[in-house]
Amino acid sequence: MSHHLFLLSPNDTPLYSLTHQSSKPTTAPSYPLSSNLPSWSTTTFAGTLSALSGAAGLNQAPAGGGAPRIGSGQGRNVVQMIAYASLDVIEELMRTNPAMYLKGVDKFNEWTVSAFITLGNMKFVLLHDGKNDDGVKAFFTDVWDLYVKTMLNPFHSAHTAIKSAVFDGRVRASARRHL
Amino acid sequence: MASSSRFSVLSDSANSTRYSLPTTPQQRPFLKSNIYDRNLNKTRTSEVSASAFAFLFSEMIQYTQKRVNGIADLERRLNILGYRVGTRTFELMSWRAEATSKAPKREIRFLPALMIIHTQLWRAVFGKPADALEKSVENDDEYMIIDNDPPITRGISVPRDLSSLSCSALTAGIVEAVLDGLGFPARVTAHLTPTSNFPNRTTILIKLEKSVIDRESALGNN
Repeated sequence: MSHHLFLLSPNDTPLYSLTHQSSKPTTAPSYPLSSNLPSWSTTTFAGTLSALSGAAGLNQAPAGGGAPRIGSGQGRNVVQMIAYASLDVIEELMRTNPAMYLKGVDKFNEWTVSAFITLGNMKFVLLHDGKNDDGVKAFFTDVWDLYVKTMLNPFHSAHTAIKSAVFDGRVRASARRHL
Repeated sequence: MASSSRFSVLSDSANSTRYSLPTTPQQRPFLKSNIYDRNLNKTRTSEVSASAFAFLFSEMIQYTQKRVNGIADLERRLNILGYRVGTRTFELMSWRAEATSKAPKREIRFLPALMIIHTQLWRAVFGKPADALEKSVENDDEYMIIDNDPPITRGISVPRDLSSLSCSALTAGIVEAVLDGLGFPARVTAHLTPTSNFPNRTTILIKLEKSVIDRESALGNN
């Protein structure tokens, strides 16, 4: 089970991203896309397809205990594409829905996209597979708290990338706790 | 520092188990605590001394005034400075208001958002709500927030040759940042509108972009 977090500025510049592998057990979803295709067609685009069809496909890829391939290479591009593609849905939804936490705004095969929008129009986008509403909400609340603290830095603007090691560490710790 | 680096060179070349060399002490973090360790509610009720602010604001205006030509330019710069204040204040204010609630909310309609600015934002920044909130009779897209005696300009006497200058341009910037964040882009300006009772009475004029008006009418009156 893996999670991808993106923090996007009001004009949709990515400021921070995080990939988190959850150790919590989850019900295994099915992979319709890759399993429906004949094996010969998946060879050329194997990386893309496994990413498109869900996180577990990627988990199996590094056989032999290598470093997980998520967060690099082709899978990464696909994950980014799904996250940014959901921005249209989010922007449409946030005009009519007053909640800050928008859960399950978009779905792409096994990926679910949840979003959190601060009043300053910062968007936190989380890609996750499997259902964990309370955890995701608690995680977003933590990230919000950390983001407000980052924002209070007078040298940080809403459009500068977040490079603080402490921020990164805190977000990771929160991801371990809630996701 | 010099001695410890000599030791580390020694331990590289020689078998470190033969000499009981002192291990280099862990580098102490430069700051013991950082912003991430602090509770955001800690300074909720604390206030800034008015004289300290007046001093800072005076320096800000002097700094800006040296780098501009004309009053319009000066007000624009102050507006930009206020915008930077506004984005931060509003994020913090909304966190304090909403973080404890089960389902935190954003405001999506314009009039409630204006009320938030009029009361909550003014209270967070100036310690009191603004004095009036008006809608322009002539233009549909203009709203006004009126403060009879804005605290930030209390210590300022504007010279005669700059009489059209309103240092509340900073406040206008704050309001603009909040409206922008909520998704109501607008042009916000500050104007001095003195009355006999209130010589410092200031009007913050909000001119909404057309997209906001269209959206509001599309959402209807519910």
